[in-house]
Amino acid sequence: MDLARSTARVGTGPAPIRSRRPLAPFASLAGRLVLAVVFAAAGWPKLLDPDGTVRSVRAFRLVPEALVPAFGYGLPVLELALARLLLVGLLTRWSAAAAGVLLVMFMIGIAAAWARGLAIECGCFGSTSGPVVDPTRGYALDLLRDAALLLVAGFLVVRPRSPLSLDARLGL
Amino acid sequence: MTNARTVKSAREKAAEMRAEAARKETRRRSILVTVVVAVVLVVAVGVTVVVRQAQHDDAVAAAQAPAGTPRNVGANFGIATGPATTSAGKPRVVVDMYEDFQCPICKEFEAADGAALKSWQQAGIVQLVYHPVAFLDRESTTNYSTRALDAAASVQDSSPGSFQAFHDLLYTNQPAEGSDGLTDAKLADLAAQAGADRATVASDLGAQRFQAWTVQATDAFSQKYTGTPTVLVDGKQQQSMDPASLKAAVAAAAAAKGLPAPK
Repeated sequence: MDLARSTARVGTGPAPIRSRRPLAPFASLAGRLVLAVVFAAAGWPKLLDPDGTVRSVRAFRLVPEALVPAFGYGLPVLELALARLLLVGLLTRWSAAAAGVLLVMFMIGIAAAWARGLAIECGCFGSTSGPVVDPTRGYALDLLRDAALLLVAGFLVVRPRSPLSLDARLGL
Repeated sequence: MTNARTVKSAREKAAEMRAEAARKETRRRSILVTVVVAVVLVVAVGVTVVVRQAQHDDAVAAAQAPAGTPRNVGANFGIATGPATTSAGKPRVVVDMYEDFQCPICKEFEAADGAALKSWQQAGIVQLVYHPVAFLDRESTTNYSTRALDAAASVQDSSPGSFQAFHDLLYTNQPAEGSDGLTDAKLADLAAQAGADRATVASDLGAQRFQAWTVQATDAFSQKYTGTPTVLVDGKQQQSMDPASLKAAVAAAAAAKGLPAPK
């Protein structure tokens, strides 16, 4: 191993892109942006409607009532914070891991509601033409979407390095 | 030969020390940044929760103030449009309906079952108790759900005999989801059409007089139910809204109370 390359590796700048997988960092950048946009889009309307968010949390019947308001008020702040961290690429591995935890939480919530036959919206419950309108399609799509996002988050945890990130700038 | 090896190992050692120092520096920086971000996050979440909770508690207090609560509203935020007993003093079958004025399925429910329910109330079999709620504000750009409920509360407060007509008008004039909803002026017009005093309703709407109450009503609903329409016949939640099932449920409840069967 020649000396030049080994000293290059111990510098305080960003790690050199491995020549074996030149695409991974760009995939990570894409992953960061996708998650950032999704979490911002999820968190912003929740932030604007705190009472509605608390009711939504309550509707899933998974969090004890005493914690429902804290959850409902705090969740959008967390989502937006994660979106911002992922956007600028700061603490990418941790943000992606936290995003993954939230996604798992959402998936559990949706799966539980589906299994228990809860209907969380207007119209899912009751139809004038007969028995309960089946919310299966909505729940299935939501689970698929969250699973895909979970894969993205997982990838980011394993490959957090990407260009245009504060992590790279700060040498983290 | 020895010289080259010594020089090389000295360079290697220097490189190792630089590597070690760099790693330590990176680790220290990483921990610092992580701690700072974590603290900021915890503070942000904590402050938000505390502030929102305080705002919520203020709303609860406002709703409990006499001016903030509509009169003629029963327990469980229920608005009855008929008597609880028959002329002979027998208790009627109670039909509780949780609806949102923005909810399209509620509109379908009213269209399919509204007339029958009202006729059964006329016939002395049931008592209709509406529990309008407002959780579909996100389906309009102007919080239509809340404003419609605010208007309904105002009508019930000032002119309870007009509530049924106003309720029905709100459904026949229901705005599409995603739109601006009906304006306050239009809501006041409909209230007047139903028999209430336009000026009173308009002024209550403008002042958002019962807004806190609408939040309370909706929160109470969300403690027990997750969707609308939710229909209970003598306390039993109905799984189907189709006219035949509803009639069967009312008939069973009426028979249990010794009341005539619904036609």
